[in-house]
Amino acid sequence: MYISYNWLKDFVRLPAKIKPETVAAELTGHTVEVEGLNRQADQFSKVVVGRVLEVRPHPNADRLRLTVVDVKTKRLEIVCGAPNVAVGQLVPVALVGAKLPNGLEIKESLIRGEKSSGMICAEDELGLGKEHAGILVLRDNAKVGLPFAKYLSADDIVLEIDNKSLSNRPDLLNHYGLARELAAIFNLPLKPYEKFYQRKWDAPGHQTHQLSVKVEDSERCPRYLAVRVDNIKVQESPAWLKARLISIGQRPINNIVDLTNYVMFDCGQPMHAFDAAAVKKIEVRRAAANESVETLDEQERILDNGDLVITDGRKILAIAGVMGARHSGVTSETTALVLESANFLAPAVRRTAQKLGLRTEASVRFEKSLDPLLAESAMFRFLTLLQDLCPEMKLAGVPVDVNNSQSRPVAIELDLDWLAGKIGQVIPRAEILGGLKRLGFTIKNESAESEPLSVVVPSWRATKDVSRREDLAEEVLRLYGYDQIVSHLPVLPMNEPEANEARQLERRIKQILAWKHSLNEAYNYSFVGEEQLKKLNIDFFQHLRLVNPLAETQGLLRQSLVPGLVGNIKTNQARNEDFGFFEIGTVFFRASGNLPKDVANGDFLPYQEKRLGLALAGGGDLFDRLKGLLASLLKNLVDHEVAVEFAVPEHCPGWAHEYAAAKVMAAGRELGLIAALRPSAYVDLNLKKSVVLAEINLPALAELVFGTTTHHFQELPKYPPVSRDLAFVVEPEILYNDVRREILQFDPLIRSVELFDVYTGDQLSGGQKSLAFHILYQSPDQTLTAEAVDTIQQSLVEHLVQKFGGRLRDF
Amino acid sequence: MKEKLNQLRAEFLEQLAKAKDGEYLRELELKYLSRKGELSQLIHGLKDLGLELRREAGALANQIKTELQAEFSRVSQAISGPAGISGPVDVTLPGESFPQGHLNPITLVQNEMEDIFISLGFKILDGPELESDYYNFSALNVSPDHPARDMQDTFYVDLPNREGKYDLLMRTQTSPVQIRAMRKYGAPLKALIPGRCFRNEATDARHEHTFYQVEGLLIDRAINFANLKNLLEIVGRRLFGPETKLRMRPKFFPFVEPGNNGEYTCFLCQGRGCRVCKYTGWLEIVGAGLVHPDVLLAGGVDPEKYSGLAFGFGLNRLAMLKYNINDVRLFNSGDLRFLEQF
Repeated sequence: MYISYNWLKDFVRLPAKIKPETVAAELTGHTVEVEGLNRQADQFSKVVVGRVLEVRPHPNADRLRLTVVDVKTKRLEIVCGAPNVAVGQLVPVALVGAKLPNGLEIKESLIRGEKSSGMICAEDELGLGKEHAGILVLRDNAKVGLPFAKYLSADDIVLEIDNKSLSNRPDLLNHYGLARELAAIFNLPLKPYEKFYQRKWDAPGHQTHQLSVKVEDSERCPRYLAVRVDNIKVQESPAWLKARLISIGQRPINNIVDLTNYVMFDCGQPMHAFDAAAVKKIEVRRAAANESVETLDEQERILDNGDLVITDGRKILAIAGVMGARHSGVTSETTALVLESANFLAPAVRRTAQKLGLRTEASVRFEKSLDPLLAESAMFRFLTLLQDLCPEMKLAGVPVDVNNSQSRPVAIELDLDWLAGKIGQVIPRAEILGGLKRLGFTIKNESAESEPLSVVVPSWRATKDVSRREDLAEEVLRLYGYDQIVSHLPVLPMNEPEANEARQLERRIKQILAWKHSLNEAYNYSFVGEEQLKKLNIDFFQHLRLVNPLAETQGLLRQSLVPGLVGNIKTNQARNEDFGFFEIGTVFFRASGNLPKDVANGDFLPYQEKRLGLALAGGGDLFDRLKGLLASLLKNLVDHEVAVEFAVPEHCPGWAHEYAAAKVMAAGRELGLIAALRPSAYVDLNLKKSVVLAEINLPALAELVFGTTTHHFQELPKYPPVSRDLAFVVEPEILYNDVRREILQFDPLIRSVELFDVYTGDQLSGGQKSLAFHILYQSPDQTLTAEAVDTIQQSLVEHLVQKFGGRLRDF
Repeated sequence: MKEKLNQLRAEFLEQLAKAKDGEYLRELELKYLSRKGELSQLIHGLKDLGLELRREAGALANQIKTELQAEFSRVSQAISGPAGISGPVDVTLPGESFPQGHLNPITLVQNEMEDIFISLGFKILDGPELESDYYNFSALNVSPDHPARDMQDTFYVDLPNREGKYDLLMRTQTSPVQIRAMRKYGAPLKALIPGRCFRNEATDARHEHTFYQVEGLLIDRAINFANLKNLLEIVGRRLFGPETKLRMRPKFFPFVEPGNNGEYTCFLCQGRGCRVCKYTGWLEIVGAGLVHPDVLLAGGVDPEKYSGLAFGFGLNRLAMLKYNINDVRLFNSGDLRFLEQF
C-alpha cells in the first residue's frame, strides 16, 4: 500500500525538522514496516513536457513513426510506436538518462536503423495507470520544457507500506489511521476526523426518492448506510483529487468513482456508488445456490448460499464487500447515484473473495474487521467532498442507517505492576497514560493512582485487535520503544537438563557417515509421485495423499526414503564415478500412531517413523560394501562389540532385487533392509550406475544403541590362542549365518570365527560355494595343545558334514 | 652349516641394532647382504653339501636371507625416512587424497543453533511433520478464518475425519511442538525445536514448499520482554559475531502478544549497508514474542502463574545468509556440486 506524505499532513502537522526518512524509520520501529520511500520528483527526473512538431513514417517499419519533438532546450528526433501520436500534441518526453517508474532506462538508440533520442511515454510507463495503447496526451496549457513532476504538481513523497505486517490492524489501511500513529509516535496533535465532514444532512423538502433498505442477514451485515443523491454530473476529477490518487498508484477514472476510492484511502471505509437508475430499493441477502452476476470487471461470477449480495429486490447489484455488478455501475450518463457505506462481517467477505479469487481493495479491508462506526463518518465525508465536486447535488431523502452492530466500548483492566513484570522494566505512569491516550484509548480512572487502570479501547481497535491486557502491553511497549528496554536474562532455578538421545544419535550418525564413510547428506522432499513409484515397482495404493498437491509428481506422502535417494543418484550419475548418499527423514503411514491428534476425542495422528536411508552407486561389489559400511557404522555407535547379521527377508519391497536383499539384524533386533535395486528399475529410470540401498528404522537403532547393557572389560587372556583354518564346501542354499552359528556353538573353547574367503567358480561344481574360516581356540585356564585342538576341529568337521552335507575343501 | 647360518644371523642382527646412520648401514649391507657378502658366500657353499643336507640348510638360508633383508630395510627406513627418498624432493606436492563426505548446510546451521541453546540448558525437542489442524492452528490461537488455513497456503492430507473434514496437514511451522511439549512436560520448560515445515507455494529461487525452522520456548515464572530481548541478543552474537546488534519492531503473530520481528546488524557489512542486507545494514531474521495466554492455556499451563517467551528462526534463511547461497531450492536438490561445498 502506498501512503502520500502530503495526504498525511492533512491530519497531522509534521514539523519540517522531522525528515520523511525519520517518519519511515519511526513508523517501522513502532507500528508497521515501511518498505520504501519515493520522492515523486525523483520518479520523474528527466521527464519533461514536449510538443510534437513533425510525424513521418519510419522507412523500415510500418508501425513506427519518426517524430521531432520540441523540449524547449532542443529538438529531439524520437522513434515512436504509438498509433495516436500527432503533430501539435503536448506529450511527456523521457530524455536520455531518465529512469522510469517501470524500471526502463532511456538511452540513445537506433530503432530499426533510425536514431531515437528519448521516448514519448504512455501512462503505464510513468506509473500513472495501466494504459499502454497510446502515448499520454497532456493538457493544452502545459508549458513546453516543464519538468513533468511540476506539470503533475507531483511534489509528494510516497511511503510504501508492507501490507503483510498490517494483518491484525483494520485501522491502518488508510491515511488517517497512519496519521494517528504518527501523532502518537511524535507526540503531535491529531486533527479530529469529525473536522473533515458535515454531519447534518436532512435534505429538507427534497424527499423525492426516499430509499428503502432491508437487511435480511444482519449477522453478515451489521450495518448498512445508503443515500440517494440526485443532480450528479459525472466528469473528470479535479486536479487535486487526481494528484492524490496518482500519488498512491491509483488511476483516476471519474469524479464519483475517484471519490469513493479517495474516501477509502482517506479513512479506510470501502464505499460503493450505484447508478440510481438501476437501484429502486436495497435488499441485503444471501445469494441462492448457483445464482450468477456479472461483476464490474466483466466476469461472470457464480455464487452460493454462503455469499452475501446487495440486490434491488430482483437483480444483484453487488457482491457485498467485494465488487459491484456491471449493470449497476456509475457511467458517464449517470445523473443520480445511490451511495453505499456498509459494514460486512470479515470471515464472510474473506470466504467469498477467496472462493471467487477476487481480492479487491474493499475486500482486503473488510476482511480485517472494520469498525461499524466508520461507515457513518465515511458517508458524511463522501457527501461533504461531493458537495465541492458537484455543487448542484441534492440528497433525494435522508440517509438510511440499518444498524445492528453491537459496538459497546470495551474496558480492560491494566495493573501497572503486572505490566512492569511483563515488560521487565518499569515504564513511568505518565508515559503509559500519554501513549495510550494518543492512540485513542481513554482512561476511566486516571486520577486514582493506586488502582489498576481501566482502559477503554477505541472503536477502531475494538473489532478484534485489542481485547486483553497483553494487547495493551504491546501498545505501551511499542510506543515506548523496544530500544528503551534494558535486556536481562531471567534468574531461574537450576535443573537437570534432559538430553535428547535420539537427536544426539542422529547427529553422530550424520557425522560418521559423512566424515568416515564419505557419504553426502541429502534432504529429499516428503512428497513422491505415482509415476516415480511405478518405475520403482513400489505399490502406492496405501500411500497417504495430499488434498492439494503442487504437482502430480508430489501428490503422495513417502513411505520410504528409497525413491528420493535413487533420485539423488540419478541427479549426479553423469558427473561422478563412485559416490553415495544418506538421508535421515520421516516416512508416513495410513495407520494410527501414538501421538494424539487433539485433546478432545482420543484420536491419533497417522504413524510417522524416522528412518536412515543409504545409497551407494558406482562399481565394485556395492552390496558387500554397504553391508560392511553398516557394520562399521554400528561399531562406531555402540560402545561394545555388536555383530551385525544379514538374514534372508520374509518379504521384500518392490524396489529390491529378488536375490540381493537382506534384513539387517543386530543383537536379535531387526533394524532394516539392505538390497540392490531391482534390474527393471535401471531401464525405467534411465539409471546408468549400479545402486545398492539400505533403509534403517531409527527408533529401533536408538533402542539398540541406548538400550544395551553396560559393557564390561574382559581380562586379558593368560594362555595363547591356537588358530586353525577351515574351508568348507556347501550347496548354494546353505547360508553363512547358519554355518557360522554352528561352528561358534560347537565347543566352548572356540572363541571366535572369522570368514576370510568365499569361493564359487570353476573348481567347484553346481553353484557350490566354499566358505573359509579362521577359527580361534582358546582356554581361560590352560595352554591348549595342538593335539587337543586338532581333535575338536576333527569332530567339528564331522558335525558340519552331518549337519549341512558339505565337505572339506582340498586345495 | 646350519650353525654357521644361525651365527651369521645373530651377528648381523646384533650389529644392525647399533646402526645410527646411513654410512654404517651401507657398510653393514656390503659386508653381509651384498652379492659378495658373507651370506651369499655361505649360500654359495651349500652346493658342496649332500642332497639331504643341502635341502635342509637351503630352506634355512632362504628363510634367514628374507628375514635379514626385511630387518635391514626396516631399520634403514627408520633411519633415512620413507623409502625411495635419496635426494631433494618437491615437498609442495599434495598428499594422498582421501574421499570426503558432506553434510547438508541446514544440518550445520541447525547444529550450531542446538549447541547454543543446549549450553543455556534448553532441551531439544521433535514433533510430527504430519500434524493436526488442532495443534498446528487452533491451539496456537490461529482463528478458523485465518488465511494460513487456506488450501492455497497449507498442504492438507487426504484422510478426512469422522465429519468428513480435512483436519490433517503438513505442519506449516514448528510451533505445534510448543503445545505438545507443554502438555508433556508442563512448566517450567526450556525447549528448542528444530524441524521440517511445509507451505503450499510454488518453488522458485526464493520460495520453497519444504523448509526448516528452529523455534525456542522458555516458560517459567515472570518471564518478560527484557528476557526475550537478551536471549535474542545472545543468538545474534553467537551466530554472527560479538559486535552484532539487535533491533526489534512490532509484528503480529497469533500465538504471541506482544509480537515482534527481530533484525540483526548485517554480519557482512557490520551495518554499513551492502547487497545482502539490501543496503539497510539490517537483516530481518527472527520472529518472536511473549507466549499468548491462550496458547499457554492450550498447553495446560496456567497463564496466571507462568509466562513464556518464544522465537523462531528460518534455518534456510540463516544458511543462505551465512554461506551466501542464492537459491533456496539447492538445499533439497541433492546436487553434489552444491553439497560438496560444505
